[in-house]
Amino acid sequence: MAAVSRINLLPTSRTLASGVPFAPRINNSVPVGLSGNHGHGHGAAGARSDVPQAFAFRVGARGHVGKTNALPTSSSFQQRHFSSTPLRSVAHPMAGATGIPRASATGVPDFSPYKAKSAPLNRTVSYFMVGGLGVLGASGIKSTVSDILSNMAASADVLALAKIEVEMGAIPEGKNLIVKWRGKPVFIRHRTSDEIDEANQVDVKSLRDPEKDDDRVQRPEWLVMLGVCTHLGCVPIGEAGDYGGWFCPCHGSHYDISGRIRRGPAPLNLEVPEYSFNDDEEKIVIG
Amino acid sequence: MAGVHDLIYRTFFKRNSAFVATCFVGAFAFSISFDLATTGWWDYHNRGKQWKDIRSKYIQAGDADEE
Repeated sequence: MAAVSRINLLPTSRTLASGVPFAPRINNSVPVGLSGNHGHGHGAAGARSDVPQAFAFRVGARGHVGKTNALPTSSSFQQRHFSSTPLRSVAHPMAGATGIPRASATGVPDFSPYKAKSAPLNRTVSYFMVGGLGVLGASGIKSTVSDILSNMAASADVLALAKIEVEMGAIPEGKNLIVKWRGKPVFIRHRTSDEIDEANQVDVKSLRDPEKDDDRVQRPEWLVMLGVCTHLGCVPIGEAGDYGGWFCPCHGSHYDISGRIRRGPAPLNLEVPEYSFNDDEEKIVIG
Repeated sequence: MAGVHDLIYRTFFKRNSAFVATCFVGAFAFSISFDLATTGWWDYHNRGKQWKDIRSKYIQAGDADEE
């Protein structure tokens, strides 16, 4: 068992007769930890395959320490030494796992058990980990955003209050019903066929706010409108005015049987809210 | 065996567009499946205690007034 030895010596303690610098006791063998051919061409661990010629070095020769100092003697000069690494024969921690007792002559650990066995598999696993993190992150962001948005949306009780239902059977033909919806009156008229014909016969081009009767109703016999005069917001009176529809008493706007402005200061037809028919329960759902 | 991870790499990871698209689609699939799994576990853990489990004890079919 070689004792651990550390020697410092001058790079060129002596020059051989061949002109080669003589540097004895330098360990030229390839360390175990650096084994494997990674482009250096020095071969496997152990003795190098690219061992220099015998005349270039001599193993085991005693170094000659020159008595004459050829180096500069000024105080600013720092002498350079190079040291060989200590010789060790320590079993690698992974020796049991790998089955091969590995000892590094230089003390450099043997990393080969930690190296990836298969580079393509290693690459796929790495991308999989990155992608998995991306999937989790995107999922978390999506949940956060959708939770924030649903928090800002109207709750179910508010939505339920925002709708009203009116029974269709409660309104006989030719009658109006006024209901309150979101603080505003809503006119519902069950129109007769004569009134529908009258609304359709109007020349649309002659109107102030040209709108066909078909565009204002979902079913011709049911007319649903917001009961707010488009002039200054009064509530018009039903079955009044010169056109058989609605009449606003505030400033004298006349609306026809389709709720369109015909005369007076109002600029637009009566607004039609969102509504739908529930035929199973025979109800009009407003909102 | 060697072909499987190589196929996965070439299909999902090699092109960035495919990688990002896979991440987003996977995020949707993950959140839906995670919700289903956790809801299923919750229902299993609280089985017999929730209204949908005991509703039949209190409301018979056609007995709408009880509601």
